[in-house]
Amino acid sequence: MRGLTFLAQPRIGRLAGQFGLAFALAMAGAGALLYWQARAQIDDEVETSLRREQARILVPGAPQDTAAIARRLNALTGGRVISDKGHMLFAADGRAIWGRIEMAPPPPGFADVSFRDGRPDWREGHALTARLPDGARLVIIEHSEAVENIHAMLPRTALILVIISVVVGGGAAWLFSALIAQRLARTMAAADALARGDLSRRIPDAGLDGVFAQQVAGLNRMIERMADMVHSQRQFASHLAHDLRTPLTRLRALLQADREHTDAAGRQLLERAERECRSIIAIFDALLRLSEIEAGRHPTAMAPLPLAPIIEDVAETMEPVIADAGSRLELGALFPATIRGDVGLVHQLLVNLLDNVALHTPAQTCATIGLSQTGTEAVITIADNGPGIAEAQRDRVMQPFERGTASNRPGSGLGLAIADAIMRFHDGSLELADNGPGLAVRLRFPLLRAGMATF
Amino acid sequence: MAQKPVLVVEDDPIIAGVICRSLAAWGHPSLHALTGREALALEREGAVGAIILDRMLPDIGGIEILSQWRASGCNIPVLMLSALGSVQDRVEGLKAGADDYLTKPFDDAELEARLAAICRRNLRKGDDLAVGRLRLDNAAHRAFLGDAGIDLNRKQFSMLAYLMRHADRVVTRAMLLENVWGYAFDPATNIVESNLSRLRGRLQALGCDAVETLRGEGYVLRSAKCGA
Repeated sequence: MRGLTFLAQPRIGRLAGQFGLAFALAMAGAGALLYWQARAQIDDEVETSLRREQARILVPGAPQDTAAIARRLNALTGGRVISDKGHMLFAADGRAIWGRIEMAPPPPGFADVSFRDGRPDWREGHALTARLPDGARLVIIEHSEAVENIHAMLPRTALILVIISVVVGGGAAWLFSALIAQRLARTMAAADALARGDLSRRIPDAGLDGVFAQQVAGLNRMIERMADMVHSQRQFASHLAHDLRTPLTRLRALLQADREHTDAAGRQLLERAERECRSIIAIFDALLRLSEIEAGRHPTAMAPLPLAPIIEDVAETMEPVIADAGSRLELGALFPATIRGDVGLVHQLLVNLLDNVALHTPAQTCATIGLSQTGTEAVITIADNGPGIAEAQRDRVMQPFERGTASNRPGSGLGLAIADAIMRFHDGSLELADNGPGLAVRLRFPLLRAGMATF
Repeated sequence: MAQKPVLVVEDDPIIAGVICRSLAAWGHPSLHALTGREALALEREGAVGAIILDRMLPDIGGIEILSQWRASGCNIPVLMLSALGSVQDRVEGLKAGADDYLTKPFDDAELEARLAAICRRNLRKGDDLAVGRLRLDNAAHRAFLGDAGIDLNRKQFSMLAYLMRHADRVVTRAMLLENVWGYAFDPATNIVESNLSRLRGRLQALGCDAVETLRGEGYVLRSAKCGA
């Protein structure tokens, strides 16, 4: 289920945002570089043209005093407005001698200036100033129209750039992440299925290439190897149990045969040997059963299963057993919940757990079995007021061949391990809890939806 | 069981020897086949009353032999023996036509009881069973001895019905677990003992003490004690 949710809504997290931001920064950097270059280019052209204009006025070899330059300016402009350049002559004391442009006299060389030439607003310009031999200054000004245009365009261009980079960068990042998430989702779905025990599951590699295909192939090789190991381990357990049945049959046959030719002491010995033989067989049967359930080899007819009638049936069967042990079994409230399950396994589960009450609690214990329902689960609770199991021991007693502290009790030591395997087989869980006092065993089954339980 | 011999098909000489000795002790003659081919030949000769068939044989598998017999119309009772004990294996054996399936290792008492049960084909069937004056009312889940009646719970009722159908025959604990409870697992607990002692208590209240415990073997409902 988790895998499916993942597939439907790929969780991309902050990745798209981070990519969008990085993209926007890169675009802003590129924009700044472009602006800086365009500006340098324009400045260069303006300065070349100013230098050319200055050379036209300060002709080498011609007189360079203020009056001569003023004359030359008069001659060049002839009273007409020429080009987009303005000319000014300032006396050494900063007083304007020639020209009608309002401005502060700039220092020699190139400078950015503000000026006003009859219009009400101040404008920006680039000026080239030359100091004449008599201390006066010749200023040539060019209105920086191109630069002003760029400056006027700048906020809008920057905004467009940012929007484009965030949208394109974020979108591309989202798409990229979504594709990766989708590929990961397939891996996750397979991993979940494997975790649930479906060892035949592999990660699909259709449509993958490059590092993704390599990764899937690598993971699948690993799964293959692990499935082989699990399989051979299971095979080993069940072959061992099967192969020991024949010698055990012989052993028992030999122990039973010809007993009449033995004296009383010998017969007693034979009977004891046979009892031991019987308990070995019981352990092997339980072990075999455990490996069968865990391998899912049980020829299961999974079907909608109302739990209440099964609980009533098992309680009816086990009540005399618990009563014979000196204790009591009571039937609690039974909520009519239906699960999807194997009827034989659920019977074994409940018999095993109620048998634990008969075997592992002292006389006068009172046990209750009940059935309740949460939003998604059917919960069978078997609670008793016996000595319980210490919290530190609860995990341990679920392991095969582990028992509680009262380890001298009979039994294969596989009862709880089998119960746990049966719960896992049903995608449920077995939980040991404190009943204050006593033990509460909670069996949580995924509930079959009401609409599917048709009878 | 008539005087026709029981055919024992088992490749393990020790196990086969014990089975044949036990059969002799119960008064049944036996024939022994070590392989599937031998078994097919002996059965063709005709004079076989029942068959104990091992599932795993060196040449032809027990399931295949059984399928051949059933396909050719042979309806001799067959008890299948196997070291394979899973539910699936049992279902396969029964599907192939075995009348019962016994997992190794087994008690000789278990073998005898099951052999007797499959050879006795004319079991009492039907809703209302009666043995002597003891009578079962299926609809009301009650047992009657003459006019006196008692209520039984479902398990007690099914146990008594099974015992009455096999009246005067040994019924083992495993047979009751399989047929009354339908349990394919060994509960390793006193389910049969405790429930049977309740049933016996109910019958005693009715004045009928017909169920007898045979230590190490099982239970018998004696028809002679069901009130003549």
